[in-house]
Amino acid sequence: MSGWIALIKRELRAVLRERTILIAIVIQLFIASFSSALLIGLLSLYDPDSVGVYARLNVGIGFVGAPNHSLIGLMRARGIRVAPFASLNDAQNAFQRGAIGALVVAPPERAAPVEMQVYLPRAEAQSAMILMVLQDPLKRYENVLREQRGIAVRYDDLRGLPPTTFEYLYSIILPALMFFPAFVAGSLVVDSLSEEIEHNTLETLLAAPVSLHAIVGAKIAAAILVAVAQCVAWLTLLRLNRIEIQNFALVLILATIIAGMVAVASAFVAIVFKDRERSQFVYSLMVLVGASASYLFDVSPIKTLTRLAIGDYFTSALNVAVFALTLGALGIVLILGIRRAARA
Amino acid sequence: MKQILTIALREITRLRRRFSGGASPLTVVILLGALALNAYAFRDLAVLGSGLYRIGVSGDAPALQDARFAPLAVEVARGRALVDRYALDAHIDGDDVYARRDDKSLYALGALKKYLEKQELARIRSTFEMARAFPLRVEINFLDPAPNPGSPAPAEPPIAPTTTAAPASDAALTAQLKKIEDEGRLPEFRIDHTTDKEIIIPSLMTPPAPFAQVIVAFLYIMPMTFISIFFTSSFMDEKINRRLTLLLSAPITPLQIIIGKMLPYAIFAVIATAGIAFSTRAPIPLALAIFAPTALFIFAIYLMVPLFYRTFKDTTFISMLATTLTTAYLIFPAMFTGINDLAYMSPLTLAVKMYRGETFGLREYLFPAAPMVLIFGISLYAGTRLLNEEFLMGYRPITRKLADAIFLLLDQSRPYLSVALMSFLVIPIVYVAQLILLAIGTNLPMSFMLAGALIAAATIEEIAKSMGIAALIEARVVTSTRQVLALAFLSALGFLVGEKLLLLVSVTLVSETMLSAALFNTGFVLVPLIAHFIFTSIVGVLNARFRLRYPFAVIVAVIAHALYNLVIAGGLR
Repeated sequence: MSGWIALIKRELRAVLRERTILIAIVIQLFIASFSSALLIGLLSLYDPDSVGVYARLNVGIGFVGAPNHSLIGLMRARGIRVAPFASLNDAQNAFQRGAIGALVVAPPERAAPVEMQVYLPRAEAQSAMILMVLQDPLKRYENVLREQRGIAVRYDDLRGLPPTTFEYLYSIILPALMFFPAFVAGSLVVDSLSEEIEHNTLETLLAAPVSLHAIVGAKIAAAILVAVAQCVAWLTLLRLNRIEIQNFALVLILATIIAGMVAVASAFVAIVFKDRERSQFVYSLMVLVGASASYLFDVSPIKTLTRLAIGDYFTSALNVAVFALTLGALGIVLILGIRRAARA
Repeated sequence: MKQILTIALREITRLRRRFSGGASPLTVVILLGALALNAYAFRDLAVLGSGLYRIGVSGDAPALQDARFAPLAVEVARGRALVDRYALDAHIDGDDVYARRDDKSLYALGALKKYLEKQELARIRSTFEMARAFPLRVEINFLDPAPNPGSPAPAEPPIAPTTTAAPASDAALTAQLKKIEDEGRLPEFRIDHTTDKEIIIPSLMTPPAPFAQVIVAFLYIMPMTFISIFFTSSFMDEKINRRLTLLLSAPITPLQIIIGKMLPYAIFAVIATAGIAFSTRAPIPLALAIFAPTALFIFAIYLMVPLFYRTFKDTTFISMLATTLTTAYLIFPAMFTGINDLAYMSPLTLAVKMYRGETFGLREYLFPAAPMVLIFGISLYAGTRLLNEEFLMGYRPITRKLADAIFLLLDQSRPYLSVALMSFLVIPIVYVAQLILLAIGTNLPMSFMLAGALIAAATIEEIAKSMGIAALIEARVVTSTRQVLALAFLSALGFLVGEKLLLLVSVTLVSETMLSAALFNTGFVLVPLIAHFIFTSIVGVLNARFRLRYPFAVIVAVIAHALYNLVIAGGLR
């Protein structure tokens, strides 16, 4: 046992000495910050309420039409600056002066279909932004016209919170932070094993009174320890950012189990293929397949993790146990595989 | 040429040997499985928040066919009780939606609202006649702003309420409805400048987020990145088996070795690109033109990995970092196609345009392509200088290796010319690095972004200009302060010439943002030249005369540079 612990220490020392783990942490930080930057950018298109784009976009809209037109109120309710104009010429002049960014010309509401005109600046980026801001008031106005024409629009009065940030946080960021360490753990095991094999240091090691099982086991254990350390760090950081994580312990256990599954599978790959080139290739493909496949099943680790973290009523330790059993099965396969490899 | 082909054949043999025997069928099976599963997983992109909300359903509520909702059929009373007991997030009974007032329930309600709105629209569409169901049509027109404030407006046709009769907008509505039925989703509103007018229906439009096209465009990048594992391994193999000395003693140049090893992968990249273009019905020559610079860029990065690695773990993590950064650099801007002109910094944007059937000009093509090809050229040159046993075999800290590499890149017999050229040639790398910063920075709060981006940009520039000088100082090729100042001047000059050349290509595309003005240093020629000279001199003199360690010397220069940038940015405001 003490020999085995010495082996684990040897692995951990190598990881620390090479400082490569720092790169892995930089990658994770980058992915997290980068994808939230992407999210905020895309949110301003899809879910503008949640990032307050209206407050930031300071464009005046010229309005030509009845002074008590319901669209004026709808636009103002969204924080848009509306300037009424008596005639099109006045509005056009104001646009040329740069006083307003776009114009809306509203005909009387009696017409069978109401044909409204919107004049936007020719610059692509600008006109896309203005149109996005106008979309919501226009949609509401469309519903007003529908009601006038005797169509009752259901679910029009639901008042919730913009959900995208919540969905993204628990179904993308948290799983990414909890499972990327598992991916790193697998890579560590593949590299560490194939390096020993290719540089012929494995034989030297086997000359000492340790078994192949112990060596592989130590490498897996070290990789899992590194993964757990990362997960604990991320969970702590999330907590410090006031992001609530329910079932803290179960979330960490699930992340550890997944790291174990990936590490065991990667050890198996390295033992079968022996060189880094093929092992890394097959391992990367395996991760790709695993990640995609997990979406297909209801027992997906991502889904389970998400549900644990938001405190889902129907998700418990039992769901985590399923993964623990899978890890156990994988472990047995690996032990049998090593026995065969050792005999060969 | 013959030597290159020989090396290429040798590389193919190496790969064949690697993947012959028992491993190959397994690999192929896994590969095919991976592709099939990925295609399936990405078939519809509704993976965000799968199974996040538990919704109770009774009565004739619309079916919840969205992966985010996990519906549960219950009686009304029990459903509401479950909501109150925090087991369900909301309960729908026909027109009635029951929820709690806490965040989790309100998020579910927010998601439900968006989903039900769409269902409701479908119901209205199928129940009522078109004129009543869609009573509002909006005609989009475009206006040119006044060319010069003060000058009289050009004789533009006066804007008058066009008398388009209902049939015109009816036709547009029918076309949009048909598109929804054909594609199963809402049409994106696209600002199309080729036609002057466009009719949109507010409830039928979605923002122009090019998710699907970006994913398709990314399909081109995946095989290139994957194949790079082998390209990198090829050099690692030579190193492990210590055959490089042998290879280099043959009448063959390092350039021939690199090109020869790259050739099979380049051919693979061409075939893969053509194949993907063919199967997604895109024009093959255009796809090749768009992705050739990207392929070269990816090869450039993966050529550097084996030159700098010390252990296997190094290789894995350096590759991972390279992949993450390039992926971000390629995908992020393309997501904003048609919304922000900075999107053109990524070649994927051109691919998105291609798939949308939109056109782009030579300038839009060169904006992403030119820096990538230039980086490839630099990487190739660096590869030829660094491909020697002594550099490859040393196990030293990564910073030490970088310093050695910079020294090897310089021609020691002509230090002045080398330093000026180096500062000139690193421009594309500096530029790409700054574009990445800009892309990320535009999404942060304004004041925070400005400060962060200015400091980061200054750091990149100062390192780029002074690294060659520092390497020469360390190797004692230059010793006197006068020499250092002369080098600093030449470095500043080379950098400025490169910067200005770059500006010629990019200024019209990115000049819109105030920040880019500060980053790319628009303004007079003399002021930036003096500024560059001063900052680089600070690093050189502190390092050579006062023996201040290089990182600290750079920090001092960066502070000066950031302050200068702040003044420039302030002046532009």
